[in-house]
Amino acid sequence: MVKASSLALAVLLAGLSGTAHAQDKPVLTIYTYDGFASEWGPGVPLKEGFEATCGCTLNWVAADSSIGTLRRVQLEGDSTEADMILGLDTAIAGEARATGLFADHGLDMSHLSLPGEWTDAQFVPFDYSHFAFMWDTDTMDAPPSSFEELIALDDDIKIAIQDPRSATPGLGLLLWVKAAYGDRAPEIWEGLAPHILTITRDWSESYALFLDGEADMVLSYTTSPAYHIFDADDHTIKAAMFSEGHFPQIEVAGILKSSDQQDLARDFLAFLTSKEGQANIPTTNWMFPVVDLEAELDPAFQGLPQPEKTLTLDEAEITANLAAWIDEMLAAVQ
Amino acid sequence: MLTLPHRPMRVAAATALTLIIAVLIAAVLWAILNAATDASGGSRVDIAHLLRMTALQAGLTMVLSLLVGTALAWALNRLRFAGRDLVVGLFAAAIVTPGMVVAFGLLSIWGRNGWINQASEVLFGIGFESPAYGLSGILLAHVILDGAFAGRILLARLDAIPQSRLKMGQSLGLSAWQRFALIDWPALRGSLPGLGAIIFLLAFTSFPIVLLLGGGPANQTLEVAIYTAVRLDFDLVGAVRLALTQIGVCSLVILLASAFTPVPSALSRSTQPRWRDSAPVRVLQWAVLVLGAIGFALPLLSVLYDGLTSGLLRVLGQAGFWRATGTSIIIGASSALLTLALALMLALGRSAAYRQGARVMLGIPAFAYLAVPAVVLSLGFFLLVRTTGVPVGTAAPVVVVIANSLLSLPFAIATLGPPLDAIIRTRGKLIRSLGLSGWTQFISIEYPLLGRDIGLMLALAFCFSLGDLGVIALFGTQDFQTLPLMMYRALGSYKSNDAAAIAALLLIFTIVAFVGLPRLIERISHASRR
Repeated sequence: MVKASSLALAVLLAGLSGTAHAQDKPVLTIYTYDGFASEWGPGVPLKEGFEATCGCTLNWVAADSSIGTLRRVQLEGDSTEADMILGLDTAIAGEARATGLFADHGLDMSHLSLPGEWTDAQFVPFDYSHFAFMWDTDTMDAPPSSFEELIALDDDIKIAIQDPRSATPGLGLLLWVKAAYGDRAPEIWEGLAPHILTITRDWSESYALFLDGEADMVLSYTTSPAYHIFDADDHTIKAAMFSEGHFPQIEVAGILKSSDQQDLARDFLAFLTSKEGQANIPTTNWMFPVVDLEAELDPAFQGLPQPEKTLTLDEAEITANLAAWIDEMLAAVQ
Repeated sequence: MLTLPHRPMRVAAATALTLIIAVLIAAVLWAILNAATDASGGSRVDIAHLLRMTALQAGLTMVLSLLVGTALAWALNRLRFAGRDLVVGLFAAAIVTPGMVVAFGLLSIWGRNGWINQASEVLFGIGFESPAYGLSGILLAHVILDGAFAGRILLARLDAIPQSRLKMGQSLGLSAWQRFALIDWPALRGSLPGLGAIIFLLAFTSFPIVLLLGGGPANQTLEVAIYTAVRLDFDLVGAVRLALTQIGVCSLVILLASAFTPVPSALSRSTQPRWRDSAPVRVLQWAVLVLGAIGFALPLLSVLYDGLTSGLLRVLGQAGFWRATGTSIIIGASSALLTLALALMLALGRSAAYRQGARVMLGIPAFAYLAVPAVVLSLGFFLLVRTTGVPVGTAAPVVVVIANSLLSLPFAIATLGPPLDAIIRTRGKLIRSLGLSGWTQFISIEYPLLGRDIGLMLALAFCFSLGDLGVIALFGTQDFQTLPLMMYRALGSYKSNDAAAIAALLLIFTIVAFVGLPRLIERISHASRR
């Protein structure tokens, strides 16, 4: 019966796929998360820039989330069309690496400028920012300067955060608290609980709650204020700097072993981490570039405060404990 | 029952469709189990707790929505005023608007920084605890969506009460209460179980609203747990287990709802005589309507206000917006037509079935989409499409149309089922004695009488598809983008003004379709009657 229904579907679909186009140029297919490939994202200028020199076609395929790209490749196995996955972050890199699907990139990463040295053999970073709580100078006099100060604020001060199971910033906050407080993490979460207005599925929803004045603070990135400065010269939205230090999100790309376009994929990664490629990132993805763009970096980013301390967690430790940490957090805020 | 015309083909077609949908769901689950490489990680979810919380929330939503819907339908049926059609359209638009748009509209009225709280701070110098978060927030948002929808469906039943009954009632001098109990209630009763089941299931599986307003893991649905299993844990076996739990609970609700024998209701809109209730009752009716307007229309008006005052011109100038509009209209029209075909097959078969058991069985597939979690359905579709060897990008529009049709099916059946039953019960004898063929029966009797209901159903299905964010979010690509997806992407790229403008335009399209389509179809179907 399954075969029959598949067959029926195939016949149905065959009628629609009449527009198959002849391809003589090689095609590089990259799976990425939705926002990256959207018309406002970095995907558009990166495709233009790379296609100008590669003699190839770059094909973005958007999945609903960054982890969705990995799951899709896992489901497709060796028959996947994808040559590369772009948009995983350091929080799920360990899980991705463990699948054994990724090839070594073999590129020299010494020219990169990141918080900490980059030595990963499989994943190539393409942007980064630190997680931080945003506050609005119009509605708040002084922001808290640590988790403990945030907890000590009046319960009327509400924050919007994201679910660690569905949004990468939510996962980032979980790791941030863990990296800063270790075994004291549940205590911090219990302290935060009365301040949590809501835990949204995606970053978009909680950020919208913040912009609408529903939440006093929102978990986002130290680079978020750059958008408002760039868009409307609005300096009222700022990132609160915490004395514990901040946990970074470093977004990475990796070539799949199953790809028959290894060289082309490597060329793209070289382009992505070149000054030319990186120049596209800040004002489309609202993250810091991974190379020093110097004067080319948009002025909106130039004056942004940076954390004094970057917190880290060992990749193996994250992979081994993530499920338990999520349970711990959910139980504490319940 | 002997008066039913003998229509074995109708029953056979509906049965075949039921089987196809059942096989499709089985294939979806099978494909996922087949793809599960290792039986890793037991589920970490407290299913019993989730079920309790979700059932409580969904039960409350259902009861409140039906009460509110009945009150609204009652008030709207009695009152005549300029702009009534627009109010009806606005109420009905709530359910087909993306949940997120409604939720944000709700917040701009009832939220911590909403109009009401701001007004209270200006007038009295104090704010209040916003009711828009937690269980009360979920209920408020659900009742706005579902209560207004219930009101729209029930209003259609009240508007269809035959003139003769009303004249008789009027001449007997029935009081407002007697009028409701003796004339309105019998017309409404048949629609309540099906409507209640739909609302319960919608609330049971509601994903974006519960997450946005729920306040955290205490208020969650099974869908969240399933999403976690599919995405984060990649525990496909666990996901299927959770999906089966949800299917089980939903089937129980569906069977319970189907067990109530639907009461035949009247059909076709009659030009109702002017029969005003007494002045105090009319005050009550106006009060219901005004409260309804504050509760339902204000959040939507705030969406319009925010959207039309922010990035409207910038959005209208984007080529991407017009492409997305085109895609939305094509997808919406295709799924509306597919929904009509599926709904007619099922509803005609159901109305022709003799036995109660067959009727219950043929009523179940309508709910397939509500019972099967969207994440699971999309994952299964994805795997099935892959086994056919068709590129996923090519298949995406077809899958989106099919999924959207399944999503609209329960609403379509709720709209078409009761009048079809009524036709068979009131004119079955006539049809039999005339010896009409099934086709003639449809073309010369059912289709003309159903005109307005078909229009309403097409409008519902079209708007559902127009407002869908759940299906498209899992299948959209950068080249295949509908308006809600574009809106969501704008929100995700900090472009909240653009998102607000798109939300407002979506709402306008929805209202236009809702007010316009039923009239258009009614005109066409009447023209065909010569």
